[in-house]
Amino acid sequence: MYSLITLLFVVPVFISLLLLVVPKSLAKPLVITTALLLSAVSVYLFINSEGVYYFGVPAYVNDIVAVADIILLIFFGWIAIKRRSWIVGLMSLLQLGGLLYLLNIMPAHHSLQFMADKLSLFMFLLINIISGIIAVYSLRYIDEEHCSPFRKKYFLSTIFWFIAVMNLVVSSDNLEYFFLFFELTTLASFLLIGFRKDEVSVKNSLTALWMNQIGGLAILAAIFFIHHNGYGEATFTNLLANAKAENVLLPLALLSIAALIKGAQMPFSKWLLGAMVAPTPVSALLHSSTMVKIAPFIILRLSPALKDTPVANVIIALTGFVFVAAAIGALSQDNFKRILAHSTIALLALMIMMAAVGTPVTITASLILVLFHGISKSMLFLNAGILEKVFHLKQSSDMDKLGESGPFTSLVITIGFMSLLLPPFGAFIGKWMSIESLGALATDKKILGALIMVAVAGGGAVLSLLYFKVMGLLIARTGENDKIHFEKTGPYYAATTYILLGLLLATVISLPFLLNQYFAPVTGSLTGTALTIATEGWNIYLGTIKLPLVPMLIAFLLLPVTIIAAMFIRFKKVDRAKEYMCGEKVNYSFSSFYFSTDRATPYFATAGILFFVALIIVALI
Amino acid sequence: MNLASYRKKSPWILHYNAGGCNGCDIEILACLSPKYDIERFGMINTGNPKQSDILLVTGPVTKRSRERLVEIYAQMPEPKVVIACGACASTGGVFRGMYNCEGGIDQYIPVDVYVCGCGTRPEQIIDGVVQALGILETKTKELEESVRLKKETVKEGKQINRRNIADQVKPAMI
Amino acid sequence: MNNLWIPIILIILAPLLGGLVYGFERIIKARMQRRIGPPLLQPFYDFLKLADKRKMIVHSAHAFLGIMHFVSLWFALAVLLLGSDLILVIFLHLLSTALLILAAYSTRSIFSHLGANRIAISILAYEPVLIIIAVSIFMLTGSFDATAAFQSEQPLLYKMPLAFIALLLVLPIKLKKSPFDVAEAHQELTGGVELEFSGIFYEAVYTAKWLDYVFCYTLVYLFAGNNILLGAGLIIFTFFYLNALDNSTARVSYKQMLRFSLTVSFSLAFINLLINSLT
Repeated sequence: MYSLITLLFVVPVFISLLLLVVPKSLAKPLVITTALLLSAVSVYLFINSEGVYYFGVPAYVNDIVAVADIILLIFFGWIAIKRRSWIVGLMSLLQLGGLLYLLNIMPAHHSLQFMADKLSLFMFLLINIISGIIAVYSLRYIDEEHCSPFRKKYFLSTIFWFIAVMNLVVSSDNLEYFFLFFELTTLASFLLIGFRKDEVSVKNSLTALWMNQIGGLAILAAIFFIHHNGYGEATFTNLLANAKAENVLLPLALLSIAALIKGAQMPFSKWLLGAMVAPTPVSALLHSSTMVKIAPFIILRLSPALKDTPVANVIIALTGFVFVAAAIGALSQDNFKRILAHSTIALLALMIMMAAVGTPVTITASLILVLFHGISKSMLFLNAGILEKVFHLKQSSDMDKLGESGPFTSLVITIGFMSLLLPPFGAFIGKWMSIESLGALATDKKILGALIMVAVAGGGAVLSLLYFKVMGLLIARTGENDKIHFEKTGPYYAATTYILLGLLLATVISLPFLLNQYFAPVTGSLTGTALTIATEGWNIYLGTIKLPLVPMLIAFLLLPVTIIAAMFIRFKKVDRAKEYMCGEKVNYSFSSFYFSTDRATPYFATAGILFFVALIIVALI
Repeated sequence: MNLASYRKKSPWILHYNAGGCNGCDIEILACLSPKYDIERFGMINTGNPKQSDILLVTGPVTKRSRERLVEIYAQMPEPKVVIACGACASTGGVFRGMYNCEGGIDQYIPVDVYVCGCGTRPEQIIDGVVQALGILETKTKELEESVRLKKETVKEGKQINRRNIADQVKPAMI
Repeated sequence: MNNLWIPIILIILAPLLGGLVYGFERIIKARMQRRIGPPLLQPFYDFLKLADKRKMIVHSAHAFLGIMHFVSLWFALAVLLLGSDLILVIFLHLLSTALLILAAYSTRSIFSHLGANRIAISILAYEPVLIIIAVSIFMLTGSFDATAAFQSEQPLLYKMPLAFIALLLVLPIKLKKSPFDVAEAHQELTGGVELEFSGIFYEAVYTAKWLDYVFCYTLVYLFAGNNILLGAGLIIFTFFYLNALDNSTARVSYKQMLRFSLTVSFSLAFINLLINSLT
């Protein structure tokens, strides 16, 4: 087991280095086999894991980590000088100062730095499978990018290196290590966002850099307070062991801030939106599967300590607000990737909220959302890339002819959106469980619960409006082309799309089974109380929440199947008439409507800042 | 059950003004008002060709409006009847022979009932509609050809493409 | 088992009941305007006539989605009448409306698009209010199931009058009654989303409107608990209220509708929720 977990850390790094030197013909089989290997290992680990795996590394690694930290921060400083960005420089200096001070005051320690529990293994599964698929997809995508052959290799190499860092981040227990890997993901996002090297890319990559550096700074501060309060070594385990101690709220709040920034909650949503200029596999990596999922991961990890604290309440309020605000922001967007980005922020808010509430049911809801959002969003992003490269479409309003020119892609995107919206897909179940469990929460948390209910209800309505707006464009066609012929997009694109589609359908069908075998153990290991899942008649009971199976099943037959069937079904012996336009013969061009919510968005950022200030104040009191 | 007998119990009306002076239109709207209360026969003014059974046309079909007239007529599903409402719609009226007008709507679409008067009285309109209902009951579901437009409709098996029926009407050169 | 038969019969007869309500409504509206109005069975005459028209569609996806709108709405109604989870019911209802919106978007018709946009906005206006009402019911009965509301000893109306008022304010949006009938707006959009349907395909959309009546009046009935008399009273009151409102008000724009719904109805429901959660 330990060797397998180590494999997940070492293999991607090794492959990443190898990809820089091998020729292109070798790179393809190499990437595919590695992706398969990593996925297989993570699945095997998840199925056969028992208990928690603690393991340490030799003492000299501590020194290596410290040196790597310093080198990384100096590198950031160099970037600041090169790009003349004072804010990046300031952040780097602050971090460097903080780090040196901490290294100075903290005693050397040689205990166990890594911990892989159920949650980590769950994240492994998500990271390795989805990132593997994205890596295979990038093989084709990067071929069509206009850049030198070396940069193409470098791109693939960065992706694998990123997988390694992600695997490390979700399994490190020591916060110093965590800090390093957190900063490394920041570096990865900086490099990947700036990959195209044009003006906008560089600007957005710098934004991503300094915003995430604030998160790094928060982690350093958290380490300081853990040390200062005398909880022993700065590890997650020690922090959770002292969950009831005095002053514990401050480090918790600081770590949560790091999480919220990584999760691009307002006012830090700008970096994620800016990341949309990067090549599509990057947006898929940063958005769907991996990097932003650090946010719910941290909150999930801290949830036993966070539960029922004022800090958790502020986080819940903040994310409730972000859920609505991001959904409203999405309504005014036209760029397809930006629409996806906004909805990612909204759904991340929901995941973080569920994790912060911290009851077994909400934790399960959060996990369901994390997994299904990962699959659906990566599918959507990969197809956004196909749209861009094959059909040369970037704006959603141009997509109204896609139903005729690219029916297969339009079908896949429609399924992707449905999987975020309709029963019986996981995201729907997750959302629904959130509303039901928040209702339960409202009975003992009263006003906060009621407020959050409103936020979730309102935000949910806005999001469904958004998804239906885009889906409407995708199935639009005229009566003249009533027949459809599926287009061909090339083996890599088609294969990755099919795999993701298969994953999606498989998870939907096996959801009742997954709940029992897959989500419940993770929840149990996190909260300590196992979630009781019982089947009674036609209902599944999750704790106190009832999941009626029969309506779900029929709903599945009705809604998603209907929309998919609508693309194929053809009525015979029926006349085709023109659309009614008061008898005019003019051909109108249709795009889609969007709301101008731009006036409201500056206030959202201000409100977000207020929430962050409140978070600190609450923790101090 | 003979479904055809229900046609006259719920005739839905589409009203189209092919370039008239609005005199007849006002009288048509008067029919809907509480005094004449046309809804007691189950009639509704739909304003939508796809769901209506009776096409009430006023005006002498100016050259700009004839394509629209044919287009709207093509979008009405059979069985349907057409009522030419007023002198202009029936024969061209005072506009007959003018350079910008056709003489009556029967040049372009088959008409079932002609209602006279300039403008017609509401009672006359109601009477015309009631007569049209008798004709509606006997109509089949076949597509009717007009006098002027002889072009074959595009058939794909038993399905007719009605999208380009109106294409044969050339736009006016004004 | 007696309890199970009533909802099943209601579900099967729902389109019939809705049609009767619609027919009666047309008479009442006519009488309010001092007209005679159509016969009571007029909606059914329309139904039979539409069945006899030549079949004509814009394209297949559009017609199919229209039919499925009817089917899924009937299903949502069945779930509600069988007393299942209210949140699920509201979601299903939303999604059935969404199928109609999708149908409208799938054509290239200006009026359909406008109508669909407006329906989308009206969803935004009534959906949050309905969810908050469902949560209020949850707080009082301790369960999201509609059965709990149907069986509660004390009518919910006495405990959540504000929520009932909020419901009365959003029902006109749901049923597309004036002053909130922008979504249908026959004079400017000629029906909006339902414009492109014709003949037997229009029938699905036309009958779905009848089902919507049954759905809305069942929501009203939820407030009466197990008191059948009070329930009947509430339904009759709502019926006359809706028709009087429809006849006496002029249409407002969609912005005014949204603003009104999100400030007045929404706050009413929310205050009600707060009161329920505090007591």
